[in-house]
Formats: sequence, C-alpha cells, structure tokens
Amino acid sequence: MSDAEQSELTPEEQHQAANHRGKMPLLAKIFGVLAVGATTAVLIGSIYAVFDQENKPLNGLNPQGPKAQTIQNLVLPVFVVAGIVMVIVCAAVLFISWKFRRRTDEDPHSMGVQTEGNMPLELTWTAIPALILFAIAIGTIITSLELEPKVGPETLEVRVIGQQWWWSYEYDLDQDGNFDDLVTANELVVPTGRDVNLRITSNDVIHSYWIPELNGKKDAVPGQINDWALRADEVGTYLGTCTEFCGLSHANMRMLVRSVSPDDFDAWVEGQQREAVEPAEGSLAAEGKKVFEAQLCSSCHLIRGVNEAKVEDPEKGVDAQLVSGNAPDLTHFASRGTFAGAIYNSRYPNPDGNDQPYGATCTAEDTDACGEPLDNATPGNPDNPFYAPNVENWLRDPVAMKPMAPLQTENPYADGRVRGMPNLGLSEDQIDQLVAYLETLR
Amino acid sequence: MAVADAPLALPSGAPSHDGKVLGVFTRAQRTTGWRSWITGVDHKKVGIMYGAAAIFFLLIGGFEALLIRMQLWAPRQQLLSADVYNQVYTMHGTTMVFLVVMPIGAAFANYLLPLQIGARDVAFPRLNAFSFWCFLFGGIFLNTSWLLGGGADGGWFMYAPNNGVLYSPSHGIDFWVLGLIITGIASMVSSVNLIVTVLNMRAPGMSMMKMPIFTWMTLVTQFLLLFALPVITVALFLLMFSRIFGAAFFNIDDGANPLLWQHLFWIFGHPEVYLMILPSFGLISEILPVFSRKPIFGYSFIVFSGVAIAFMGFGVWAHHMFVSGLGPTSVLVFSLTTMFIAVPTGVKILNWTATMWGGRLRFDTPLLFSIGLITMFTIGGLSGVSHSIAPADTQQTDTYYIVAHFHYVLFGGAFFGFMGGFYYYWPKVFGYMLSEKMGKWNFWVLFLGFNLTFGPMHIIGLQGMSRRYYTYDPNFGFDIWNKIATIGAFTIALSVILFIVNIALSYKRSKSLPPVGADPWDARTLEWITPNPTPEWNFDPIPTVTRVDDFWYQKYEETADGGLVKVRDAKDIVQDSDGVGVHLPSPSYWPIVLAFGLPIVAYGLIFSWWLCLLGGAIIVTAMFGWAFEPPDDPEAAHGHGHDEAGHDDHGSAADVDALEQEVAPVG
Repeated sequence: MSDAEQSELTPEEQHQAANHRGKMPLLAKIFGVLAVGATTAVLIGSIYAVFDQENKPLNGLNPQGPKAQTIQNLVLPVFVVAGIVMVIVCAAVLFISWKFRRRTDEDPHSMGVQTEGNMPLELTWTAIPALILFAIAIGTIITSLELEPKVGPETLEVRVIGQQWWWSYEYDLDQDGNFDDLVTANELVVPTGRDVNLRITSNDVIHSYWIPELNGKKDAVPGQINDWALRADEVGTYLGTCTEFCGLSHANMRMLVRSVSPDDFDAWVEGQQREAVEPAEGSLAAEGKKVFEAQLCSSCHLIRGVNEAKVEDPEKGVDAQLVSGNAPDLTHFASRGTFAGAIYNSRYPNPDGNDQPYGATCTAEDTDACGEPLDNATPGNPDNPFYAPNVENWLRDPVAMKPMAPLQTENPYADGRVRGMPNLGLSEDQIDQLVAYLETLR
Repeated sequence: MAVADAPLALPSGAPSHDGKVLGVFTRAQRTTGWRSWITGVDHKKVGIMYGAAAIFFLLIGGFEALLIRMQLWAPRQQLLSADVYNQVYTMHGTTMVFLVVMPIGAAFANYLLPLQIGARDVAFPRLNAFSFWCFLFGGIFLNTSWLLGGGADGGWFMYAPNNGVLYSPSHGIDFWVLGLIITGIASMVSSVNLIVTVLNMRAPGMSMMKMPIFTWMTLVTQFLLLFALPVITVALFLLMFSRIFGAAFFNIDDGANPLLWQHLFWIFGHPEVYLMILPSFGLISEILPVFSRKPIFGYSFIVFSGVAIAFMGFGVWAHHMFVSGLGPTSVLVFSLTTMFIAVPTGVKILNWTATMWGGRLRFDTPLLFSIGLITMFTIGGLSGVSHSIAPADTQQTDTYYIVAHFHYVLFGGAFFGFMGGFYYYWPKVFGYMLSEKMGKWNFWVLFLGFNLTFGPMHIIGLQGMSRRYYTYDPNFGFDIWNKIATIGAFTIALSVILFIVNIALSYKRSKSLPPVGADPWDARTLEWITPNPTPEWNFDPIPTVTRVDDFWYQKYEETADGGLVKVRDAKDIVQDSDGVGVHLPSPSYWPIVLAFGLPIVAYGLIFSWWLCLLGGAIIVTAMFGWAFEPPDDPEAAHGHGHDEAGHDDHGSAADVDALEQEVAPVG
C-alpha cells in the first residue's frame, strides 16, 4: 500500500476535486455565518418579543388571574433551564465543529483517538437530564393538582356551550344546579375576585375554551362536561380564541371575559334577567321587531318576550333550524360590545386597547375619543356608542362577513338544518329597521 | 444445493418444473427499461421509486405549505377561502406525514437495509413491490380528491365528530380515509417484510449487536409500524363505516364518545412521530462516524435508547389530549411518561456530540445536515419538554408554539437527516456524487429558511395565535412574525429547488468524470463493500462479518497503541464480481396489478358500487395470478445468469431460500 505508487488520482479523489473547485464554498461559508447570525437574531428578537407585553390583546405570557399565574410560575423556570440547555448544546456543537475540524494542511487520512464509548460518561448524561426532569415532574404534579377546579359555596357556576361558531353562557345564580337564570352569548361577564367554575360542553363538534390571561384552555366536548376554573382579580376585558379546530369558521370564534366589580355585576345580572325592551309604537325599531318576527330570524334566535324557543328537544335540537339547535340569544344584544362570535364590534372599542376598565370612555357626541371600531382585535365596549355599519353589513350578507355553512340542502344528514346564519335577502329598509331594533335591546 | 429439495415454508403453488402453469400466468422478464421498474421486485428499484415518489409528493405538500404561508402573509388575506384553506392545511399535514416523511424513511430502508446486513434482497420481494405500489396508488388516490370535489377538511388528526358527513359533507374525508387505509396496507406489509429480512437474512457473523445503527433504527421503526398501524386502521374503518354506511361510532346523539377517535388516533399518532424520526437518527448515526473518522460513541446506548424511545412512544399518546377532559390522574401519568421520553432522546444527542469530539471533522454536506439535525432537533426536543408539562401545555397546545415544535422535530430532525442521507448515499445509489458547492448552499439556505419559517412561530404561539386559522386580524401583533415565516417558507422552497438543480447539474457533470469508485467517503459499513452504483445482485459472494463497521476494519487495522493504520485500499476490498450464477428473484406483474385494484374499490365506495366490483375483480385476479405465477419463466435468462435450473422451482415466495443458499457456502 504505498501511496507514492499512486501517481494519478483515484476516481473518488477526482470527484472530490471536482466538488471543491472554485470559490463557491467560501461564499457559502459567509452565507452560513449570515444564516447562523440571522437565526440568532430571530432568537433574540423572539425573546424580546415574548416578554414585551405592549399592545397584545391576546397574550399567553401575561397572567391576570391566579390560575394563569400558577402556570406561569411553573413554566418560566422551565423555559430558562431549557434555554440554558439549548445554548450549551448548540455552543458545544459549534465549538466541537471548530476545534475538531480537519485542517486544510492536514493529512486527509489522519484520524483522532478511536474512542468507542465511556460508561461513566454515559451514565452521567443519562442521570443529569433524568434528575432535571424529575424536578420538573414534581412541580408539574403539584401545579396540576392546584389547578383542579374546586367548587365552593361562593363559586359562580356557568355552563359554557361551544357551537359552530360562537359561545353561549348559561348562569346558575341561585345555585340550584339548573343553569336557567341567565343566558347570554360570546361575552362572559364575571365579578372580580370571585371563583368561577365553567362547565364546558358543546352542542356540535369539539371546540376549546381559552382565555390565555386567565387560564389555559379546556376542550368543549359534546356529550361531556369539563370543569374549568377562572378568576379575575382586576376589572378588565380578556380576549380568547377557540383553539380546537371546529370546522369552517374556526378562526372566527372568539370569546371575551369581562370582569366587573361585584356591584356592576349585580346590576348587569338584573338587566339581563329582564325581558326585551318593547320599542315605542310607530318607531323604526317597532318595524324592526316586526321584521324579526316575520322573517326567518325568529326561527333560530330568541328574544325573550317576543318569541318562544323553538328547540323542543334541547338534547338533540332536532326541531331547530340549526345543527347545534341554537343561535345567540338576542334579548340583550345591545348590552354586548361584539357580535358574530365576538369577531366584530357592535360598539366602539376603547382607544387604548382592551385592558381599559369596563366603563364609558367615549360618548356618542365625541366618537373621535373612541377607538377604531373596525379594529376587531380590540373588543367593543358595551358602554361606548353603538356602531351600526358592522351590524348592517352582517345582515346584508353574513356569509361574506364570516364563512359559514348555511346551505346544506345537498347533505341528507343535515336534515334541513344549517350551520351558521344564512343570507336572508333582507331589503335595505328591513336592515335599517332591524338594526334600529337591535340597538334598543340593551 | 441440498436446500432445494427441502420442503418449502411457503409453497409457491407451482406444481411442476415446466413453468407452464395455467398458461397465461407467465413471469415478467425485463430487467432493464421502463418495464423493469413496473414489474421489478429488486429492493433497490423499489427504494428508488419510494424516494422519487416521496419527492414528488414533497413538491405537492410543499406547494400546499407555500399556499398556507401566502394566505397568512398579512392579516385578512383573501387568497384562499376558509374552506380551501382548511383543505390545504389538512392535505399539507397528511401529505407530509404519510406521503413524504414515512416513504423517504421507507426509501432508505428498502435500499439500504439488505445492503447493510449483507443480503441480496428483502425476504419477500414481490410483497415489497406491492408495498410500494400500494403507497403510490394510495397517495395518488388521496390527491385526486382535489379534482373530484375538494380535499379533506378536518385536519390531519381528523377529530370526531367534525369528521362526520354532517359537518363535512364533501367527499374529501372519504378520500382521506380510504387513501390512508391503502397506504396503511403498504406500510404494514413493508414492516413485516423488513422485520423478517433483518431477523433472518443477516450475513454470516452479523449478530444483532453488530448491525449498523441505521438497520437497528429501521428495525425499531418497523416494529412501531407493526403495532401502531392496526390501531389507526381500526379508527379509519370506524370512520369509513360511519361516513359511507351510516354507522354511529362517532354519532354524539346516539351516545358516542368523540374521545374514542382521539385515543385511537393518537395511540397510532404518537408512535408515528417516532417512526418518522428514527430512520433519520439512524442515518446520521451512519454519517457522523464517517465524517468524524471515529467509531460511533456509545453504540449500545444509541441502539437501546432508540429501542427505549419506541417502547415509551406507546405510552405517551394522551399528551395530545391534555385539555380534552381526561381527568387529573390520566393527565399526570401521561405528563410524566412524556417527560421521561426526553431521557433516551437526550442520550442520543449527547452520544452524537461525543462522536464528533476528538474526530477529524470533514465538513461535507452530509455532516452539515447531521449537525443541523442535532441542533435543530435539540430545540424541538426542549420545546417538547415544555409541553410535556401538562399545565403549561394548556397554554401551549393548539397554538403555533406546537406548530413550531413539531416542525423543529420533523423538519429540523427527520428531514435534515434525510437530506444528509441523500447527499451521503447518492453515489451509492446513482454512481455519481452531488456537488459539494451546491450542497453547501442547499444546506445553508435550508437552515436559514427553516429557522425563519418556524422560529417565529414559537413567539406568536406563546402569544396566543391558534393553529389552523385561515386568517387573523391586524393589531394582534402577529403580522411581522407571519411575514418573516412566509419569507422563510419561500427560502425553503429555494433550497428544495437548489437540491433538484444539484441533482441535474451533478448528473451532467458526472458524465465527464470517471465512475465514482466504490468508496467516496472512506466509509465504514457493509453497503460500501459493493461497487457504486450497487449491482443488481448486491453481494457476490455474501460477505462474512466479524464486527461493527466491518468494512472500515478491513481497510484499517488497530495498532498496539490503539491507533489505526491503513492496511488495504478500498478498491482491493470492494467486490467486483460479475454476478454470474447469482439467483435473483424474478420480476412480476402482479404486485402492481393487485395494488391497482385497491384504489378502484375505493373510488367505488365513494361513487359507484360497480367500480367496487371491477376493483374486486382485479384484486381477485391478481391474487390468483400471484399465487399461480410460475417461479421463473423457463425461457428467460433473468438476472445475471442461472445456476442449475434445479432450484428455480422455489417460486419467489421461496426466494429467501434461494438467497440463503448463496450465504451457505460463504459462511
């Protein structure tokens, strides 16, 4: 095996030579440094972005309630440890790559010490991660048990029902076990400082309820009730989005939690329990009421005092127009700031985002002081002026505003029922009348 | 050749020696030209076809990914409707999992596994071809849904009851169910085939603990498939009966529990994750020692951590269901099992790092991709630990944080490993090397694009952007990160184009160069003892193995001081037989015919019962044809020459025996 005898290159070496000809590898090296640099920049930018809490209507790392805080306390140290491990591993790999690279002047056939393993080392690096994980496991067990919902005498119980593609809330205020005291949609109103137990279920497919600033998520599974605890200690508005894929308009299914002072809560409850306001005789709103009754609206929506619930078997909803058997209760439509699964503002939002306290910040005379109503990431405030154009557009063509499946005539399994609101073909006059009526439903 | 007269384990059904059984059922003959690919049963041809088909599907799945990223470029984009977006992301996930990552793993397994263990083919060559055609037809069938009313729209996880006809009346999910049943048959058949191959057909001297690590990881993968696939098949049949025959398995009104689907899906779905990543782990365990010029560090630890991952992989499925209301005890149990699966995974990472330590690292493209895998998979693994913590997972699950995590694992892990494997094994398979220059560009552009795409998803995910959203509003603070991700996705696309251009240009360049030679990388394992590209007969004679990295230690011998000294040149070790006298399994028409019947039945289930009859007739005919196929066409000179006709009457089911006869005289 005398290498000297091999005057000409082997085929392998010719291929290698062809591969390494030219200056491209140097450019690629520069590009590589840039790629690593860009990756690191994105990494550092992300760390900054993650801890920057400004202007984030949704934020999983900004706990505003005890449950979310408990989760945060557990996960932040883990992020730190994971970050350290990542830096160590990446740095080690980079260091090894640099230190043990084959030098250009080196014999290509040279090689290092032929180690095949090292038992103590193996055991050490099996044990160290196991120990770290063991510590994390203990924290996980403690935290998990702490997060379990506990229902006490003071707990406010609310049944939360996911449906394609909005949420309804049924309150049990007198604690008789029946969730028949108050019904509302999209916006959950809770008193501050009080434990709330959500009994989450679904009327159709699986959804997931998530208010990141108050607690993690919990699936809404049809035929099953999942308990989930919430508590907001500060007055505020907390946004959430559906997080289990639930069909066509999964992206258009939000929920809001408005936490208000106990007094405001009592006032709100009193208002919600009343039947709908009767519009003045001869007014535009009175015309709107007639439209509501005459058109298909009343076959899915309920306005207490105006029509009866059509659902005869709430378990199956077979007699309703909807697959879920239910559409948002409109009795107090105007007491809410958003509609259509909380994705559109029916009222002006607060100008400085949704962390503003619940309460008027702008007036009908001075809407310049209000937020931008088309900024749907900032929920409308029920005390701000009504913003009609969104509602009008909705009545004109709901499917254009939010993808839904209202035409299921070809689907024999749908049994004539629809998913979402169809275009009712209303005239402009009817729309004006309906909007006028809806605006009175405080 | 005493074995020839022994009773056959699997009678071929061929009763006579004249090969004229039932007239029409003659044997395919061609071993060259396009017909050799259609009828070929050679594991190398099957492997190449697996790879080519997977890259074709990669382009489809990649195009779907680009559509997703274009839609999310800016808030309230109108490029795709909600309906189309749901179809596109569903098909992106399904395609990438079932038609790209799994088949690329199968491509490497098919091509390399017999070579690494010193066999001439897999145990059941016709079944092997059948697996491929099933996969290809299943994949094409799945994608024809785009032309026949739209793709599936329920997400690749296809949760009940949203997967029912009430909620998804189009045929998309029917295509999805039936397509996955067909590709499932492919994987199931293939897993049995490869397990039998590894257990029975290793070269003399190759005990289990002398097998290359890629072979080990592939073996583990096949066991994962063997036990996981039946579960998803059950789920798919329940869904098929629900959708097509009106069964009520997932009908809530009739008292069904929709979590049944989730359990079935994830009992399959989580082992699935490991069976996608383990082949890549195997590949870089081959690449790292070669380019470090050192043995793998902790061979047995790498092997057994792979086995441990597989075992533990069956006990973690419910971590996909932490928020579905399982109850605190179940959640905690699965939380802890999930955490501790990080231990064997970490062991692998550290062993690879230790393999590089003290080596002489040759920074060719395969090594770059391997290092990419180690670092990127580490990031994916660490984010994985963060959501094994059940309370934290309630904040993270179903957000883009999860999307980031599993792309770091499956793209940064599995796919980087495959790319390294492509560059490393290209000369083995095609006889020319891919350009290093373009390879380095390929790597760095992919590395940059990958991190730009999936890095920002950690942020928007933690912030609160849910997965599977076709749109988002401005003012959530998602815009900038989505823009970066979209730019990254196109950077990835550029890198994939670079790879394809590299293949073409390198092929062109190779014509002005001599054949690549047998050992372009100074490699270690048995597959390199055969010339490049591998001759049809693989080995002649079958080698005898004395230790791990047998080829390497034929080139280098240990000195007294623990160093190595070169004793032989590769070209003196590499076999250069002409293969005369090697008996090879004959080609066959029937695998492709049998596989072709399956999608016809599937179309029939969707559109018309008559098609079912037609498909059924094809299947039955093919089964008879298969069973009555004569062992060999007596007129044809197949492979590279016969030895005495005497042992031809084994039939191809007995090709094992034929192969083992070749082993015997060597051993």
